Amino acid sequence: MLKHRLNYFGLLLLLLSAIVLPFYLPDYWIHSLTITFYYVIMAATWNLLGGYTGQFSLSHHTFALIGSYTSALLITKAGIPMWTGMVSSWIFNAFLSMLLGILCLRMQGIYLALTTWAFAEIVKTYIRMDFEFTGGDRGLKTPLFFKTMNPLPYYYLFLVFAVLTIIVIAIIMRSRIGYYLRTIRNDEVAAQAMGVNTVRWKVFVFMVASVFASIAGTLYGHFTGLISPVSGEFYEMALIIIFVVIGGMRSQAGPVIGAISIRFLAEVLKKWPEIRMVLLASAVILIMRFFNGGLMEFLRRGYQRIQQRKGRGPVSVFQKME
Amino acid sequence: MGVLYCLMSLGVNFIYGIMKVINWAVGEFFMIGAYVQYLLIVNFLGARYWYVGLFIVAFCTFFLGAFVQKILIKPMFVGIIEEKTEYATIVTIAMAILFRNLAILIGGPYIYTPPDYAPPTRIGPLPLSGNNFIAFIGTIVILAFFFYFLKKTWIGKAFQAVSQNRTGVLTAGIDVLKFDMIAFGIGSALAGVGGALLAPVLLVYPLCGVIPTVRGFEIIVIGGLGSIPGVFVAGLSLGIAESLGAAFINPSFIDIYGFGLLMFILLIKPYGLFGKPERSV
Amino acid sequence: MNNQSHPLLDIKNLVKDFGGLRALNNVSLRIQEGEIRGLIGPNGSGKTTMINLITGSYKIDHGSIYFSGERMDGLQPNVIASRGIMRTFQISRVFKDMTVLENMVVPALCQGQSMVEAKVRAEELLEFSLLTRLKNEPAKNLSGGQSMLLQIVRGFMKKDLRLYLMDEPFSGVHESIKGIIIKNIKAMNQEKGITFLIVSHEMTTIRNLCYRISVLHKGELISQGTMEEVANDPLVIDAYLGGE
Repeated sequence: MLKHRLNYFGLLLLLLSAIVLPFYLPDYWIHSLTITFYYVIMAATWNLLGGYTGQFSLSHHTFALIGSYTSALLITKAGIPMWTGMVSSWIFNAFLSMLLGILCLRMQGIYLALTTWAFAEIVKTYIRMDFEFTGGDRGLKTPLFFKTMNPLPYYYLFLVFAVLTIIVIAIIMRSRIGYYLRTIRNDEVAAQAMGVNTVRWKVFVFMVASVFASIAGTLYGHFTGLISPVSGEFYEMALIIIFVVIGGMRSQAGPVIGAISIRFLAEVLKKWPEIRMVLLASAVILIMRFFNGGLMEFLRRGYQRIQQRKGRGPVSVFQKME
Repeated sequence: MGVLYCLMSLGVNFIYGIMKVINWAVGEFFMIGAYVQYLLIVNFLGARYWYVGLFIVAFCTFFLGAFVQKILIKPMFVGIIEEKTEYATIVTIAMAILFRNLAILIGGPYIYTPPDYAPPTRIGPLPLSGNNFIAFIGTIVILAFFFYFLKKTWIGKAFQAVSQNRTGVLTAGIDVLKFDMIAFGIGSALAGVGGALLAPVLLVYPLCGVIPTVRGFEIIVIGGLGSIPGVFVAGLSLGIAESLGAAFINPSFIDIYGFGLLMFILLIKPYGLFGKPERSV
Repeated sequence: MNNQSHPLLDIKNLVKDFGGLRALNNVSLRIQEGEIRGLIGPNGSGKTTMINLITGSYKIDHGSIYFSGERMDGLQPNVIASRGIMRTFQISRVFKDMTVLENMVVPALCQGQSMVEAKVRAEELLEFSLLTRLKNEPAKNLSGGQSMLLQIVRGFMKKDLRLYLMDEPFSGVHESIKGIIIKNIKAMNQEKGITFLIVSHEMTTIRNLCYRISVLHKGELISQGTMEEVANDPLVIDAYLGGE
């Protein structure tokens, strides 16, 4: 019980510091943190889909892209009000992800990756090609959500949404749905034999992950004021995967930690973008090869060592996060 | 034009057939091949002996591929790694990012132009870039060689056997792991030679592997994973689809036609023209 | 006890082809409620295929399968499972990254039981099978025999389980664990009336457990009866000992 309380207290503390932080930071960093929250959402939701359920989708970033473009196009070209445009975009994405999810039902690992990859390329290429409609490579100007360039309100908007996302994912994973998703990843055939409706849950998780991605995407679009098909590049997807892998796949805190720490690293190493990527890519390879659980695993083992020195300890704090 | 990218697809499909692993970094081997070829021509061989460069490139990329396989991929099969496809996908994707950025670091973000392999020629009334022509012919030649190798030689048949039944061939005395390594090497070499061959056409720069990768994977999805004949058929179809679309509908949408064909094929045959689903029970 | 005209499982003229190979050729079988039926036959005779067809993992080419009077072929595996049929696999398929307890809970959750209920029941079953000390171990850490035991006991989590199909539950399993498995089967059969169809090569165990035995050979049902009847059937002897 005490461990539980300590855990929640720790999270609360973290949340409080996140709330208070912007008052001590210059605008540039607030902006950067806001973008980080965007990546936290993308990483956490991809972890839900690819990490926990084993559906290795390579088109997660694409739903963010579709979200931002649908919303922006509806608002600017059809004159629809902001909220309606955004919500319509989300509904559209829910529908689209349902279709894609159903299409990919029979596919395992490799085929799923290939098909989602193809989907990602198709969408990105279309946006680039149809430049009269979408603005193509030059991008599309989007109306701002808060009608101001000051990043502060956006910071809180994204913070709230990121926290919401994490909570939703935690609820899902702790519920019976979480069990079903994990069985799907472990052994889909056995899961079916035990009575798990794998079809329903695979489509479900695909939709949930993609809709959250599209929400993140629309918010992003209406934050930065300019969207472009660059966000649909394979590089973006690789980045999300890097965040999740380095932070720790299949853990709740992993993607969050991964996104935050690497974004921070990225800011620090801003002057040497290539070295940055070389380091990150190497880190990913090393982690996958030797140390599968990423940072979370590293922390947990360290914690267990400390516990062992003290004598038998109960379930570790970090395990609770899983 | 679609034919040119067949080498890439062949590389990936071949590796997949043997190891059931997709090498997402294949474009980067292409790029490495292109760079090495450029360096060779500019520093050692001179423009006339570009074809010698091809052999050296094949050699180098083969060894690089085999080396990578040994360090990174093999552990998958020796029982250390559990989640195989996930591991392979993540690792090869990371490799792709790694190589691209290394290329920028080492060579700088510049575009290098290798000298032409052949002067522009004419076929009938149509002017044709000498480089394209050479690339096309070169690809056909290599494809032919590869086909012959696969079907007629002992080793080729052994590879076919491995792709059909990994455990079965063990009883026939084949060292599957070594074949894996060689297969990866060959697949990478194909991509590398593709890069060397297409260097004057696509030019040499860090991201020059990206477009071929996209086209290469398009071909794979259309033709079917793991299918060698599928690569040929798909490559041709892709080329035809692109040309037709550009000619009759709208040239600026050219990239889409390939994908249009891809979607169409996926709808009727989700595993590609010649692909086979895997049995799971 | 037995209701001859209303078998629990009624398989009629089952045919399954794999490309050019006919795995099951016009097989008909009936199992009464409360039976423990053995299914034996030389390797490749179609036993696993039959189980896969019953559970919906494979599609039938011809024939029909009735369970408790209702047609079942063509349904999704998870729907079939929800009707009260559980199965184990020849190679133990447990959820490796989940703990023993979490593995256990899955079938119960699928039918709407609450997490608490499911965990209570799981602990009971684990206790009966002497697996309690392993309950928080990830399933990948279990030995081969423990894994098979988990697979089996997991199936018992299904409330209203009526038919349990076991594919080689004893192969490669340590004697002590085999004993626990047998104990489970007998207890469940006697206390809850659960019907079993057990595929196995272990004749002594089959003789111990099963009253009636069906024999498959090259996709056909060649004999049926008690162990004595079947063991003396020349067709069966020929199938096992005879040449191609």
